[in-house]
Amino acid sequence: MNASLSDESIRDEIYAIVAKQAKLDVASLRPDATLKDLGVASLEAIELIFDIEEHFDITFPDEGANFDTDTVQHLIDAVRGALQAKSGGSEATA
Amino acid sequence: MNPSRRRVAITGMGAISPYGEGAAPLWSGLRAGLSAIRPLRHARAEEVRVKVAAQVPDSFDPAARFDERILPQLDRTSQFALLAAREAVAQSGLDFASAGLGRRTAVVIGTGVGGENTQSEQARRLYGENATRLHPLTIVRVMPNAPASQISIALGAHGPTFGIVSACASSNHAIAQAAMLIRAGMADVAIAGGTEACITYGALRAWEAMRVLADDTCRPFSVNRRGLVLGEGAGVFVLEAMDHAYARGATPLAELAGVGMTADAGDIVAPDPAGGAAAMAQALADAGLVPEEIDYINAHGTGTPANDPTETMAIHRVFGPHARRLAVSSTKSMHGHALGASGALELVAVLGALAEGVVPPTANLDQPDPACDLDYVPNTARDMPVRAALSNSFAFGGLNAVLALKRA
Repeated sequence: MNASLSDESIRDEIYAIVAKQAKLDVASLRPDATLKDLGVASLEAIELIFDIEEHFDITFPDEGANFDTDTVQHLIDAVRGALQAKSGGSEATA
Repeated sequence: MNPSRRRVAITGMGAISPYGEGAAPLWSGLRAGLSAIRPLRHARAEEVRVKVAAQVPDSFDPAARFDERILPQLDRTSQFALLAAREAVAQSGLDFASAGLGRRTAVVIGTGVGGENTQSEQARRLYGENATRLHPLTIVRVMPNAPASQISIALGAHGPTFGIVSACASSNHAIAQAAMLIRAGMADVAIAGGTEACITYGALRAWEAMRVLADDTCRPFSVNRRGLVLGEGAGVFVLEAMDHAYARGATPLAELAGVGMTADAGDIVAPDPAGGAAAMAQALADAGLVPEEIDYINAHGTGTPANDPTETMAIHRVFGPHARRLAVSSTKSMHGHALGASGALELVAVLGALAEGVVPPTANLDQPDPACDLDYVPNTARDMPVRAALSNSFAFGGLNAVLALKRA
């Protein structure tokens, strides 16, 4: 079901998850904000990634994981990529 | 340092590690710069993202090492600890059959997670197979004090005996606690160290979720480091009041001159340079050493993005200009991160460095990180006199424990 999500709905769902973790109003989120900007550091960032993985039933690769400096747009792109990989039948965990 | 205080000698050491059984293969592997990190061996290795680990070789056969009446009581964690304790006691030359020694002997053994293999196996039966009966010795295998208790039973040591839990600092906290028991006059001898056997499916998944494991190898202080590599094993030492050791004609391997223990009281995982620095400064002061007397620091050096620059900063704070003159290395680059056993495995490296005048290297350091600007003895051991050394352990939970060692 997730594979058919539109870009807008992916973004909105990620915004909702980030806003909840960062305890911010969704309206205040910007795609170029880093998690650090939003006050989501260290363990909270790992929790946030976990929440996103659970929500979309995907697994982010470990490579290049540096979530503190990742922007919200990076997260959106990564989720979209993982969903595409999943619907294409290939392993999202590669 | 209080001059009237009892000094503490180390008169025996034992280990089991990814290099096999014995402190000697561990030290010779580290001295040679040989990494024991290998592809993960586990029944479910194909499923997990973790690809590498530093595991005790399959040649270790518990049935060949333990009486069949005792073996059912022993989680792998206790097996490791008992084996290392036997070796350490044999080297010390202490005879526990002799009158009174057992009454004056303490046992303090650290472990990060206790009987993890038993816990994991019994949980699998319970939840995975809907078994309703668990092994009757599950509790006595799992309890984190089991390694200390098993050693006390094996030796007949009746002094203060307990486990220590402080994650990756457990070994150093245990050794520090044992030294304080001797200083306080509550024991003449203490069997102390740490043990860990933590490579289970559940633990691998949990570490994976935390995203701190490297997928290739452990590269401390290298800019391309990708995290830690799990290890396992045990290191156990015989600590002894210096006067007690000399009175029986024993030759100390080294003096455990000082200890330092602090808590960051900040983040549950992110290290704070102030906490590590305070523990190092405390260990120096406790040992009556000035920074310039330290020739070598065995770093905590996990190879995570957060630890290595933070530890570097802490060393700068404590040592000032001397920070650039002393040698620092992370042997976790070779024996992996054995959590509660890591400080004990690293103490074997420090004792080797003090005894032989050889500093083991930091393996896999091929791309220097500007944020890590000390002399990490990259890739090849170095011959140099080591008069005194520190061994750092910093744990999740913000717990720091540092040992100061001097040539005996």
